[in-house]
Formats: sequence, C-alpha cells, structure tokens
Amino acid sequence: MRRRSLLLQVGVAALLLALLALLVNNLAVNLLRTGLGLDFGWLGRPSGFALAESALPYSPSDSYLWALTIGWLNSLKVIAAGLVLATLLGVAAGAARSSSNRLLRSLAGGYVAVIRQVPLLLQLLFWYFVAFLGLPETPIGGLIQLSNQGISMLGMPLSVEFCAVLTGLTVFTGASIAEIVRGGVNAVPRGQWEAFRSLGLSEGLGLRRIVLPQALPAILPALTSQYLNLAKNSTLAIAVGYADLYAVSDTTITQTGRAIEGFLLLLISFLLLNLLISGGMAGINATVLGRMRRSR
Amino acid sequence: MNRWLNRSVTLVLTALIGWGLWSVLHWLLLAADWRVVVSNLPLYVVGSYPVDQRWRPLLWMVALVVLIGFTLLGPRRGPLQRWLPLIWLAMAPLGLWLVAGGLVLEPVSTRDWGGFTLTLLLTFGSGLLALPIGVLLALGRRSRLPVLRLSSTAYIELMRAVPLIAVLFFGQLLIPLFLPPGLEINRVLRAVLAFAFFAAAYIAEDVRGGLQAIPPMQREAAAVLGLSEWQSLQLVVLPQALRIALPSLTNQAVGLLQNTSLMAILGLVELLGISRSLLANPVFIGRFLEVYLWLAAVYWLACTAMALLARHLELRLDPLRSDR
Amino acid sequence: MTVAIRATDLVKSYTPGSRALDGVSLEVASGEVLVVMGPSGSGKSTLIRTFNGLEKLDGGELDVLGVRLDAAHEERPVREIRRRVGMVFQQFNLFPHLSILDNITLAPVKVQKRPKAQAEQRAIELLDQMGIREQAHKFPAQLSGGQQQRVAIARALALDPEVMLFDEPTSALDPERVKEVLDAMRQLARDGMTMVVVTHELGFAREVADRVMFMDQGQVVETSDPASFFTNAREERSRRFLSQMV
Repeated sequence: MRRRSLLLQVGVAALLLALLALLVNNLAVNLLRTGLGLDFGWLGRPSGFALAESALPYSPSDSYLWALTIGWLNSLKVIAAGLVLATLLGVAAGAARSSSNRLLRSLAGGYVAVIRQVPLLLQLLFWYFVAFLGLPETPIGGLIQLSNQGISMLGMPLSVEFCAVLTGLTVFTGASIAEIVRGGVNAVPRGQWEAFRSLGLSEGLGLRRIVLPQALPAILPALTSQYLNLAKNSTLAIAVGYADLYAVSDTTITQTGRAIEGFLLLLISFLLLNLLISGGMAGINATVLGRMRRSR
Repeated sequence: MNRWLNRSVTLVLTALIGWGLWSVLHWLLLAADWRVVVSNLPLYVVGSYPVDQRWRPLLWMVALVVLIGFTLLGPRRGPLQRWLPLIWLAMAPLGLWLVAGGLVLEPVSTRDWGGFTLTLLLTFGSGLLALPIGVLLALGRRSRLPVLRLSSTAYIELMRAVPLIAVLFFGQLLIPLFLPPGLEINRVLRAVLAFAFFAAAYIAEDVRGGLQAIPPMQREAAAVLGLSEWQSLQLVVLPQALRIALPSLTNQAVGLLQNTSLMAILGLVELLGISRSLLANPVFIGRFLEVYLWLAAVYWLACTAMALLARHLELRLDPLRSDR
Repeated sequence: MTVAIRATDLVKSYTPGSRALDGVSLEVASGEVLVVMGPSGSGKSTLIRTFNGLEKLDGGELDVLGVRLDAAHEERPVREIRRRVGMVFQQFNLFPHLSILDNITLAPVKVQKRPKAQAEQRAIELLDQMGIREQAHKFPAQLSGGQQQRVAIARALALDPEVMLFDEPTSALDPERVKEVLDAMRQLARDGMTMVVVTHELGFAREVADRVMFMDQGQVVETSDPASFFTNAREERSRRFLSQMV
C-alpha cells in the first residue's frame, strides 16, 4: 500500500510538472515571438502619466515604481476607511434587524435584500454618476460641504471619486456584515437570553456580557473574509476613475506591455494587503477572545 | 427598547421614508424619461445579435423561464421531475448551440453576442466548468498525497488572494500567451475560462467545508460494507458534502451572475456593457438613473430567481422534508 | 469445530508508552457467541475494530476466516475480510442521504454486483425479520434509534456475512429501545451466526453468550462461560466491575 501511494505520488507530480512545462514552454515561445522577456528594468523609467490624487508628492516624471506605490497608498486609504465605515453600518443594520421596532427591522431587512442582489459595480456607477456627480456645482452644507467637484469634510478635501468608491464599498459590504452579525447573534441559544433576563440583567448588559462574547467567535472569522472581500472589491474603483493600485497597474501595463511582470507585482501587492488585514484581524481575534476568557 | 424611544424611532423613520417616497414620486412623474430603456429593449436582451436570428437567444430565454416556472410551481412528482436536473444541465449546451449556431443553424460570431443573453451565457458556462474543477481542488486539498495537497492549496489560496477584475484582465492578456502559437480563442471563451478558474477556488473551499462536515464514521461504515475508497467517496461522502455545501454554492452562483458585470470594464457588451455604450449615445446623455434602476431591477430579479431555485432544490434534497 | 477468528498477542498503541491492546490472544469458534465486557478504555472496542481492519495492528497476528492480518497489513486481505464480516456500530452510522432500502442495497449492488431487484427483495425480507418492513421507504432521520440500529443490522446482514461484530450496539439507545435491538440479536444467535459482541448488557450476556471475556487495561483478565462468570468470577477485577454494574 505504501509503495502504491508513492507511485501515485510520483505519477501526479510528473503530470503536474508536464502540464507546467507545457504552459511555460508555450509562454517562452510566445514571449520570444513577441520579443518580450521577463524584465523589471522598466520600473525605474518615468511613467509619463498623471494621477488625479496622491497622498505623497507625485508627477508624471516620477518612475513607474513610484506611481504604483501611490496607487497602493490610494487603495490602502479607501480600504481602511471602508473597513471602519462598513463595520459600523453592518453592526448597526445587523442590530436593527433584531430590533423590537418593526419599521426599523423591515427597513434593515429591505436594505440587505436589495443591496446583496445587485452587482457592486452597478452600485458604484450609481454612486458616482448619479449621487455624487449629481450634486450641485456650488458647495452646499456647512461643516460638510458637498459639490460635484469634491467633498470637504471639516476642512479635509475628498475627491468625488474617492467618496463614490468609499460609499459603494461601505453600503455593499455593510449588508453582508449585517447578515453575519445577525447570524452570529441568532446562533447563541435562546436559553442564554432567558437565563440573563431571569437573573435580572438589563438587555444592554446581557447583550454585551453574555450574548456577544458567545457570538464573536463565530462572527470574527466571517468578518475577516468580508474585509478581504472589501479589499479585493476596491479594485472596481477603476470604473469611476479613482487611481487605486489596480487602475495604476492597468495603465502601466497598457503603456509598457509588461503583462506578466505587472501581474506578478499586483499579486505580491495583494498578498501583502491580505496579510496586513488577516494579520490585524488575527491580532484582534486573539485580544478579544483572550480578554473574554480573562473576564470570565 | 422602552416605549418612548420606540415611538420616536418610528416617527423619525416614517418621516424619512415619507420624504424618500415623495422624492421618488417627484422624480418619476416629472423628471424620469424611460425612452432610454423602452426604445432599446432588444439591445438589453440580445445586444447586436442579427435581427433575423434574434429568435434563437429569445427561444433559449423562454425555455429557461418555462423551466424555472415548472421547477418552482410544477407537480412535485412525475416522470418529468426525475429528469429535471438533467434538463437543467442541458440548458448550457443548448444555449451555446442556439446562440453560437453551427449544425443547421447559421453561425453567429461572438462579437455580436451581447446583452442579457451574454450575461446568462457567461454565468452558465463558467459555473458549469467551475463546479467539477472546484470539487477536484477540494479533494486535492484533502488528499493524503503531499504533491496534490500542496499544489491544490497553493492554487486555491493564490486565486482567492487576487481580485476578480485582475484575473479577468490578465485572463484576456495572458491566456493567449500560455497557449501554443496558432491556437487562438475568442474573448468570450477567455472570459468564461477566467471566471471558471477564479470561481473554482471559492467553490473548492465551500466543498471542502462540506467534506469536513461529514463524520469520519460515515467513511468507516462504508469501508466496513466493503465499498472501495472511490465508491465511498462517490456514493456516500460527496453526495452528503455537496448537499451541505449547497447554500454556499448558491451564494457563489449568485455572485458569479453579478460578477459577469465586470466584463463591462473589459469591453464585453453584456448587460452592463451595453448600457454603458447606450449612455455614451448623445441622445440619451445623462439618463444614468433610469438605466441603473432598470439594470438593478433585472439583476435583482435574476439573482432572486436563482436564490429561490436553490432554496427549492435544498428542500427537495432534504431527506426529511421530501415526500418521495 | 472450526475457528472463525484466532488472535495471537495483539498489540495496539495510539500514544507511545500506553497500550490500548497489550498482548491479547483469543479464539472464536464458528457458530459461537462471544461477549466482550470491561470498563471504558479497557480496549474492547479497539479489539473488535482490529478484526475487520478498522484499526491497524502494531504487533501480533490475526486470522479471520482464514485470512491473515498483521502489523504490515495490506489493503487486499482487509477488503476480503470486510466482504465476509459484518459490523454494527454504537452510533448506527446509517447514510442519512439514502432511504432505508437504499442503505441496505447499496453494498450488495455496488460491491457484490447483485441485480437491484434481487437485492431489494432480500432487503425487504431482512427488514421483515427485524420487524420494520413498513419503514423501507423512509429516511434514517425519520426513525427512532432502535429502528435505526435494526436497519444497521439488516444492512450488515444483506452481505450474507459469516461473522457479525457488534460494537456496543445498544449504548446510544433510549432504555425502552434496547430490548428490540437485543431481541433481533438474540434471534441471530439462535440462527447460528458467529458473533462477537461488545456490550454492557448483563442480561444479554448471561442468556445468549457461549463465553464471556472480561478485559481491563488492554489485557484479557478472564474468559469463562456466562454462568460461572456472573456467579463466581475468578478475578478480583471482574468481581469489582460486576458489582458496579448491578
């Protein structure tokens, strides 16, 4: 039996290798034919394109590498803001779905039912073309000034593109988070609610000290995967012209024709981003669960 | 919640909803102009498909609607019910044949495929391709052979780390590079392949979840009856695992349908793509809201129909509820 | 008298340093009913699971119906043994996605390649014998524990086994359901089936067993006929166990 599994193992490895070799061979032939080889030298050359917004100084004479870095920072900005806002919206909507107020409950239910069944891309286009570009040209509002040229929040200027992407991601991801929160809270047995009520604990205290601690272990992993989804979905920003990592990569590849190198760079950037998010969530997970265990 | 708070929440919400309804009504009656939708209906449905051949995609869609109706509302027993899964499976090749042509039908180039027809074809085609790949990847990830396990895991994790738009974009660029020179495949097929490779990684994780939920005792019971490992997988483990994974597989299918809209960014004229080109037409300039509401309604209906079908399937497959 | 199972010096250890089976030897004659008793963790379940290859041996030698198994066991003899030895588990382990009838006919049709109609006819007979013929078209979750366990017995019998192994078949049942399963097993013993039964049911052991084997800490403490085992067990450990059981 051990011999047979070894044989099988070698066979599978050979098959995979052969497949890989075939693909790589085709790739090599095609690259030779088109006169392209793997090369990262172009990263140092000036990009020649402008970016609508950048967190750090940038001009078209800067290198491709710097342009990609700016794109990465832009992505990071919209993702970080999206994570916070989507969580707030999601928790609020999730809580609203089990509220005792019927109107609030059905409103939250309707929000989840509609948003989750419509493509995010369509929603992004709506926020950009209809909601934000539909604003008047001259600013309205006081502390938050709105216009179709941009939004100024307490003196901090935000581009319309950024706001559209952020709103779209928040509303879309919030609906999924609401479902997760509701599912997690529902998974706590009814007996637990009855138990803390019979002990005279208030709803708020019972929710905080009894229900949530039991719901969180189920909620956190699902939340992590929603955060990763949000990060990946932020690449749809290209549809409304926000200069995120993917949009800059796209332009770079179109200009240089370096598809494979571009893909590898994008892959690495996203692995880094995912690591950042799941690492952060693992930390939160550990502290939350650890604190709960201690407080018990 | 105490009664005071409850009442004020209701009051505020009623005011908000009232204001919302008022604005919508105002817009519908005074500002909305639905010509951009009404006069372009054929484009939304079939794209620039040749006018004299439009009956083919239409026929396919009518067949789909009839099948959905029959599945949801038809009799629960009967000879047709037994063949239902097979009929559903046959819908993808049938659609492909009707739309692409060949065998008696006049061939129609993929350049002329578009609208909702293309959306459905992309969804069906890639879903059907992704399911078996996903199951194989899930089995590979749980295999005892390290080579198989590691390569499956690496594939799944890499695919799940990358955004779909990147997979689609590079699919268009890179798939030709990996093919032998001379062999070329068109944009639609490349899109279907990229979607399938992407979705397979997610399906694999759902199936793996199902596999993990099967108690090891089930395998033992099968082994004791003399079933080989392959028979036990095929007759005992996989049927149960897929059933457990069905709700999450449904979500994947709905996600797939929604995600076909990403091809609009890459220049295919599926439902969203055709709308973008319509909005670029000076006659309809600025009619974003009408078009987006219309599209949202179509997507919402299609996704909800899909979810309903899956829910129906779940109930039928549940041994306790089925009245076989 | 032919020997159905002969075990010589069986050794099995899950964790280094502790032995679930520590040199177990025994013989089961064909047509005999052997009841294995002992406290939990005594190795009795492990022992019975080695008989059809569910547990690999770490030492010693097994001869089941003329097929040899040892520490270096191969897959082929195990499958041969499994074809000829039936097993019933504590947790029934019916396949929840298959009807009762399909649960029983699965192996005859897929493993023994019998015609479906013939297998179904035999399944109905077996269900009849177990007193649950009317359940044939239901699903496992619709049956009580006692009914499920009787289906499990029928499923094992459908392969016409020469030996039946029972691993605590009534331990997961409600008390009022135990009798119906024991009755079915009693009938099986009366028909001359070779049986190895791990159980805590003293009544069943006293009445049906040809011999009772008592195990503790992976070793056989004593083997005797039920009458002398229950009235005056030789070993102190057996007596202590029996006094706790009553």
